[in-house]
Amino acid sequence: MIAEARNPIIRWEWVVDEWDQIRAAITEHLTLTVLAMLLGIVVSAVLAAVALRFRWTMTPITATTSLIYTLPSVALFALLAPVFGNLALTTAVIPLAGYTLLILVTNTVAGFQAVPKSVRDAADGMGLTPTRRVLSVELPLAMPYIMTGVRIATVSTVGLVTVAAIIGQGGLGRLIFNGLSRAFWTPMTVGAGLSIILALTLDAILLGIAALVTPWTRRKAAT
Amino acid sequence: MRALIPTAVEQQAVPRDIGLFEWLFDADTWTGPTGILTSLWDTVVMCTAVTIVATLVAVPAAAVMAHLRKGEVSTTWAVSISRAIPTFAIAALLIPWSLRRGWGFEPWPIFIALLLLALVPIYLTTYNAIRQVPQESIDAARALGYRESAVPGAVEFALAASVILTGVRVAAIQVVATEPIRAFLGGDGLGRYVRDGFGQNNNTLVLGGIILIGGLAALTGLAFVLLERLALPNGVRRLGRQQGENT
Amino acid sequence: MINRLIEPTTGSIEIDGVDVTTMAAQALRRGIGYVIQQVGLFPHRSIATNIATVPKMLKWDKQRTHERVVEMTELVGLDPEMLDRYPDELSGGQQQRVGVARALAADPPVLLMDEPFGAVDPIVRGRLQDELLDLQNKVRKTIVLVTHDVDEALRVADRIALLNVGGVLEQYDAPDEIMRSPANQFVEQFVGEDRGLRRLGLNLVSSLPYHRGPVVPIDAPPDEGLKAAEQEGVAWVGVLDGDRFAGWASVDDVRAHDRLRDAPRTQPAAHVGPDNTLRTAMEQIMSSNTSVAVIDDGGAFAGVVTLEDIRAALSASPSSNGVQ
Repeated sequence: MIAEARNPIIRWEWVVDEWDQIRAAITEHLTLTVLAMLLGIVVSAVLAAVALRFRWTMTPITATTSLIYTLPSVALFALLAPVFGNLALTTAVIPLAGYTLLILVTNTVAGFQAVPKSVRDAADGMGLTPTRRVLSVELPLAMPYIMTGVRIATVSTVGLVTVAAIIGQGGLGRLIFNGLSRAFWTPMTVGAGLSIILALTLDAILLGIAALVTPWTRRKAAT
Repeated sequence: MRALIPTAVEQQAVPRDIGLFEWLFDADTWTGPTGILTSLWDTVVMCTAVTIVATLVAVPAAAVMAHLRKGEVSTTWAVSISRAIPTFAIAALLIPWSLRRGWGFEPWPIFIALLLLALVPIYLTTYNAIRQVPQESIDAARALGYRESAVPGAVEFALAASVILTGVRVAAIQVVATEPIRAFLGGDGLGRYVRDGFGQNNNTLVLGGIILIGGLAALTGLAFVLLERLALPNGVRRLGRQQGENT
Repeated sequence: MINRLIEPTTGSIEIDGVDVTTMAAQALRRGIGYVIQQVGLFPHRSIATNIATVPKMLKWDKQRTHERVVEMTELVGLDPEMLDRYPDELSGGQQQRVGVARALAADPPVLLMDEPFGAVDPIVRGRLQDELLDLQNKVRKTIVLVTHDVDEALRVADRIALLNVGGVLEQYDAPDEIMRSPANQFVEQFVGEDRGLRRLGLNLVSSLPYHRGPVVPIDAPPDEGLKAAEQEGVAWVGVLDGDRFAGWASVDDVRAHDRLRDAPRTQPAAHVGPDNTLRTAMEQIMSSNTSVAVIDDGGAFAGVVTLEDIRAALSASPSSNGVQ
C-alpha cells in the first residue's frame, strides 16, 4: 500500500520532466494515423471507383474489406512484423490502412449512390463531360458521406495505433506499455488518455473540415 | 510489487528452432497452465461472457427505446463504428483502478473495455431492426387483440430477430478479434503465444498464435451462421436477408 | 434523344438542318436548354452558380456571366437576393424557375422540357404554364415540351405530337386541329369527350370574323338605328360615340326621341377583348344574361360577338389563329 501511495494514477512532475518523450509519442501517433489514413483513402477511392463502375465487383470488394476488418489486430500486426521488420513503419501502416477500407469504401459508395439521378441527368443534359460531372458534381455531393467515413476511420485508427505498440510502433501505445511493464501508472494514464483526447480532437477537426467543404449542408441545417 | 508486473506472467518456454507443426502437435503445447487448451478456455469464457452480457444489456435497452420511438440515432454506421472504441486505451486506464481495488489485472479492465466495444453494434442494429418493423405488422398485432405489453414480443422482436442476431454476430467477431490484446495488458488467453513469441524472439510461437487467433475468429463467424440456421424460422431469415440488403 | 442522352437507333434528328448525331454530344447539349421534372439543380452550388453552369463551361468572362445570371433571374421572376442561396432553401416552384433560368442562361435556340411541371400541384402548375407562355413571348425559342397532361399540351403548345405506347406517332397538328378532327379513335379518347368545350378555351375572340352588329354613330338619325335593329332582328341599338361604345338603347326609346343622343342608354353587361378566349366570351354572355358581348379593343369598339358567332366558329374549318 505504501508503494501504491507513491504510485498515483498520474504524477505531474513526470509529465513535465518527460515532455519531450510524450511529444515524440504524439508525433509518432499522428504520423502513423495520417499515413494509414492517406493510404486507406487512396486504396478505398480506387476500390470504390471499381465497385461503382463495375457493379458485379461490389459484393467481392465488400466481402474482402469486411474480412480484413474482422482480422484480429494483434494477429495482423504480428503477421507483418517478420515480413517488413519489427520496427518498420510499413508494418504498422499496412494493417492500420487495411482496417479503414471497409468504412471508407462503404461510405464512398453510399455517397455516390445518394447523388439524385435528376442531378446526374441535369449535368449530362447541360453538356458536362463525364469526368467533370464526377469531379465537380458527384464528388462534392458524396462528400458528407465520405467525410463521415473518414471521421469514423480516423477515430478507429487512433485507437488501433496504440495496439501497434506490440510491434514496437504505436506512439502513445508505447507509453502505455512502458507504464505497464514498470507498473508505473503515469505514462500509462498519459498514453491512454492522450490517445482518446487525440481521437476526439481529430474528430472535431475533421467535423470542422467537413462543414467547410460542404457549406450547403450547413446552411440547410440553419434554416 | 513484483506480482503486478505483467511480464512476470509465466511464459510458455519453447526451443527457438522448433518447427510450427512440431509445436502444434506436441502434447505439452496443449496441456498445462500455459497450454493451448487453457488459453483457449480463457479466451472463450471471456468472449462469451462479454457477448452475453452485452446482448442482455443492449437488446432490451434498444428494444424499449425503439418501441417508444425515442433516442433516434443514425444507425447507418452500426457496424463500422464499433472499432472506434479505443479498447486498448480504456483497458489500460482501468488497470490501476482494478489493482487498487485488489481485483488484479484480470478480468475487469479488459472485460469492461470489450463490453463497451460489443454494446455499440448490438444496440444500434437492434434499434434499427425494431424501427424497421413495418407499422402495418404492429397495427395488425394490435388489431388481432394482442395486449400492448405483448406487441414487442409477438411482432417487433420476432420480425427483428434476424437483424438483432447480425448485431450480436458483429459484436462477437469484434470481441474475438480484439481480445488478444489482453495478453499485452497483464492477462492471458490466446494472445499469449504472440506475446511470448515476441518476448523470446521466436517466430514459430508468433505464427502459431496468429493461426490460433485467426482460427477462433473464423470459427466464431461459422458458429453464428449455424446459430442463425437453427434458431430462426425460414421466413424470418429471408426477411433478415432482405433487410440486410436494404441497410 | 434530341440531346443524345439516348442515341437514336433509326431515323435522324436535325437542328437547323444539322444532324445531331454528327455533333459532339457535349457541345450539342451546351447548345440546348434542358429542363426536367425533378429540376436537378446542383444542391452544392448557389443559385447563381447553378444558373451560370453552361456559360462557365462555354468560358464566358465573369462580367458577362454575372450580367446574364441577373438577367435570367429577373426573366423568370425571381428575386436576385436569392442568388447566394442554395437550392434546398427555395420552394419547389422557385427551384423550377431556377431550372428554367439555368436552361436559358447560354441563350440556346432550343429548349427541351421533360415534364417540367409534373412535380408541382395543379394551382402552381397553372401559374407556371402561364409564366411559360409569357416567357415564350419574350424569348421566342423552339421549345420541345414532353408531358402526360393533355390539358397542359393543349394550353401551351403551338403544335402537338401525340405519341402512343411504343412511340407510335398518332397525330401531329395544332391543338385546335387535334380537337376539331382527331385522326383516330386513340386521339379522340385521349383528348376526351368534352373537346368541343375545350376548344372554346383555345380560340381567341380575335379569331372570329368581327361582326359590327346593330350599332350606329351617336349623331346618326334615329331611323338609321331602327333600320339596323330591324336588320339584325333585335330590339336594341348600339350607340357609338366616336370610337367608344356608349351603350345600348331600346328600339322603343329610340322611337320616342327625335335625336338618338337623347334616348336613355344602358351600359353593356358583357365585354371582351380580342385576346380573350371564346370561353371567356361565352361566360361573359351567359353570366350577364344577355345574348351579346361587345368587343373592346383597347377602348375602341371593334364589333360584337354573339353565341351564334361562337357556335359558327367552332364548326367552321380550321381556325388560323389559336393560342400560341
